[in-house]
Amino acid sequence: MMQSDNQNRDGHTTRAHAGAVQLPAPTIWPIVFAFGLALIFTGMVTHWIMSLLGALLVIPGIVGWFLEVLPREHHVYVPVSAEIIPVVGTHTTGAQRPAGPNHRKLLPIETFSITAGIKGGLAGGTAMIVPAALYGLIRYHSTWYAVNLLAAGGFVSWAGESDAFLAQFHPLGLLAATGIHTTASLLIGLLYGAMLPMFPRKPIVSAGFIAPFLWTGLLYSALGVISPILDRRINWLWFVISQIAFGLVAGFVVNRQVKVRTAQFQALPFAVRAGLHTSAKDEGPDHP
Amino acid sequence: MAKEAPVLEAIDQTAPASHSSGPGVVYEWLTTVDHKKIGIMYIVYALIFLVLAGAQALLMRIQLAVPNNHFVTPQVFNRLFTMHGSTMVFFVGIPILFGFGNYLIPLMIGARDMAFPRLNAFSFWISAFGGILLYLSYFAGSGLYGAGSAPDVGWFAYAPLTAKVFSPGHSTDYWTLSILMSGIGTTGTAINIVATVICMRCKGMTMTRMPLLVWLLLVTSCMVFVAVSPLTAAQIMLTLDRYLGSHFFDTQAGGSAVLWMHFFWIFGHPEVYILVLPAFAFINEIVPVFSRKAIFGYSAMVAASVGIGFISLSVWAHHMFTVGMGPAGNTFFVFATMVVSVPTGIKMFNWLATIWGGRVRFRTPMMFAIGFLFQFLMAGLTGIMLSAAPFDWQLSASYFVVAHFHYVLVGGILFALFAAFYYWYPKITGRMMSETLGKWHFWLFIIGFHLTFDFMHIPGLLGMPRRIYTYEAGRGWEYWNLIVGIGAMVQAIGTLIFVYNLVHSYFRGKIAGPDPWDAWTLEWSTASPPPSYNFAVEPNVGSRRPLWDLKHPEDPDSSYE
Repeated sequence: MMQSDNQNRDGHTTRAHAGAVQLPAPTIWPIVFAFGLALIFTGMVTHWIMSLLGALLVIPGIVGWFLEVLPREHHVYVPVSAEIIPVVGTHTTGAQRPAGPNHRKLLPIETFSITAGIKGGLAGGTAMIVPAALYGLIRYHSTWYAVNLLAAGGFVSWAGESDAFLAQFHPLGLLAATGIHTTASLLIGLLYGAMLPMFPRKPIVSAGFIAPFLWTGLLYSALGVISPILDRRINWLWFVISQIAFGLVAGFVVNRQVKVRTAQFQALPFAVRAGLHTSAKDEGPDHP
Repeated sequence: MAKEAPVLEAIDQTAPASHSSGPGVVYEWLTTVDHKKIGIMYIVYALIFLVLAGAQALLMRIQLAVPNNHFVTPQVFNRLFTMHGSTMVFFVGIPILFGFGNYLIPLMIGARDMAFPRLNAFSFWISAFGGILLYLSYFAGSGLYGAGSAPDVGWFAYAPLTAKVFSPGHSTDYWTLSILMSGIGTTGTAINIVATVICMRCKGMTMTRMPLLVWLLLVTSCMVFVAVSPLTAAQIMLTLDRYLGSHFFDTQAGGSAVLWMHFFWIFGHPEVYILVLPAFAFINEIVPVFSRKAIFGYSAMVAASVGIGFISLSVWAHHMFTVGMGPAGNTFFVFATMVVSVPTGIKMFNWLATIWGGRVRFRTPMMFAIGFLFQFLMAGLTGIMLSAAPFDWQLSASYFVVAHFHYVLVGGILFALFAAFYYWYPKITGRMMSETLGKWHFWLFIIGFHLTFDFMHIPGLLGMPRRIYTYEAGRGWEYWNLIVGIGAMVQAIGTLIFVYNLVHSYFRGKIAGPDPWDAWTLEWSTASPPPSYNFAVEPNVGSRRPLWDLKHPEDPDSSYE
């Protein structure tokens, strides 16, 4: 055993030879200092005498604390007596069963990249502008109506504005609508990129119709709460048409992108990865 | 991957300590700098305030249970909701979470104590005296020469109500000064936690091997620095207004009431995350142990915690949508608030993925943890609803908001806290809590919770404003309020069972042993309760689950990380 003190990483010193551990010594000064400060504050709501008393406690509190750590920190030695505490598990473990081949089907070996989702979102967002602008043109003889209506969701002061006002060009409205529309389109595009590989059958139906109908239904039930201004003025038929335009174009663009390999691809046998051995399908229905 | 030496295979235990009694014991606790004793004092002190603030909540629910009730006077009601909110946030939430942090962090990272043990003691005592000062107001609120009265300005004390002209006497000063003191203690402990985590980890414990609990308390402590400082500044400014006649918040003299709101909520909303991140931390430790699986997505959990820490600092003004900040401000805070749900969602999925396929053991800690998962999800959903400015305009300052944040604070944080109590009580006391009483506590509390806070949303949607003293019959609120009141009583019964279980198990509980849950973090490798030096020899860890490595040398985690 070493006869000298060992300085640990945590700053405490172990006296191995004595079977003792050095710890910071208990001290009264932190509580004295805290109590003094508390009395100073209490004096502000009771009587100045209390603050004076507090100040009288704070001074010895500070001095005592300093002397506790300077010039040398006070320590106590706590004896250590060896007693073995076995570290054993109480639960049994078993060998992990190999995952059934069917499980692998849930983990795609290829998926769309993030940029595929971004491209799809931007393309879908652009396509969606066409029916929205057409609606404004037919109904209000202005392409700006849909733009301003979207922007009005963020502008409280536009709640009571007339249709004529919304049909005019407003740079602020264009800016706000562009921001909202771009953000929403990108987010939904990313969602398409992530989810389309999960629904490989009939991508046109799922991306172009089912998904837009689902979120339109969700918005229909919630828009009164999220944006009462939009809810009062929105034309749901044209809204659905524009969403389908988004879904069809975004889905089409995403589906045309080249897929990237996921981490699961690395788990395939080398022969399969190298293309020397076609997998799976040929070997039976249980393989991916 | 490099395989490193595992944690100690045998841990020494201290010799039996000399028994002191009476004044000796009191002196020992008053002068202690041991992180474990300070942690226990934090927890006990917070529990006392929890009972006090819970009793205040019950009185309020009795008052509101039926229309036109005069169980308490309007003045007393105002004091009740002010003291309830202030106590729960400043003298229950923060201390109890820091108490667990104080107790667990050095044990989990293989250290002997906190980095600054004396600062640790000071931080506790200044916080404790802050709480005592707040409650002294009941006896001396108008100064020693006048009748006592507690603060009655609400827990966020909006200006200009706090001005001397509207709040004469000293009741508001008690609130200001006590919270100022609490802020000093909170900051001191946060400094200690950051220094301890950064500087005192044992050999082998890199940042990427730290238990998630330690990570989350590190993030929480960093948030404390940013969030508590504006509150402290605001309290000093308010004190200057009230004592020296400055005009920071005096709207009659060019001051700004909105300035107070910004100062308060720059603290106030991150504070929600300061409270909830330690709750997440408990769940991060409990769910894997009772699912018998390693946590799913450790790195994502760390990243999400840090992400929450950053994003939550930029959402404060969603408490102020009705002020009229303008479209740019509203839009920014709507988006920022919605974005914070992304890292929170990552955590939720990772907890579910941890449970998924595990061998789940439904012991009391796990039951509370599962209650937390469900209720925190629900609380998050109403949070997203309220983050939409137009929705918030309709329901701001209504009981819907009260129900939402109680879903977070009670359904989320308190459930996680109860889970933590049942989980670490054996380590702290050396005895198990009763499972039977624990399950009674769980079921009564969860039924009471849902009766109270599910149905509290409805009067809010029907237009019932928060903080009203009473209401007329026939508005459609009375039945809901009665159910809410009954639910509060059921929760109170559950809490009493919990308190009984705490005390009874301390004397009669089954001996726990060092590792009753077959867990994997370092605190379970030492005796229960741990000796004053925690570990006789510094541990050396090779993975995130050092005890797994010891128990399963044939297949240690260190081979994979």
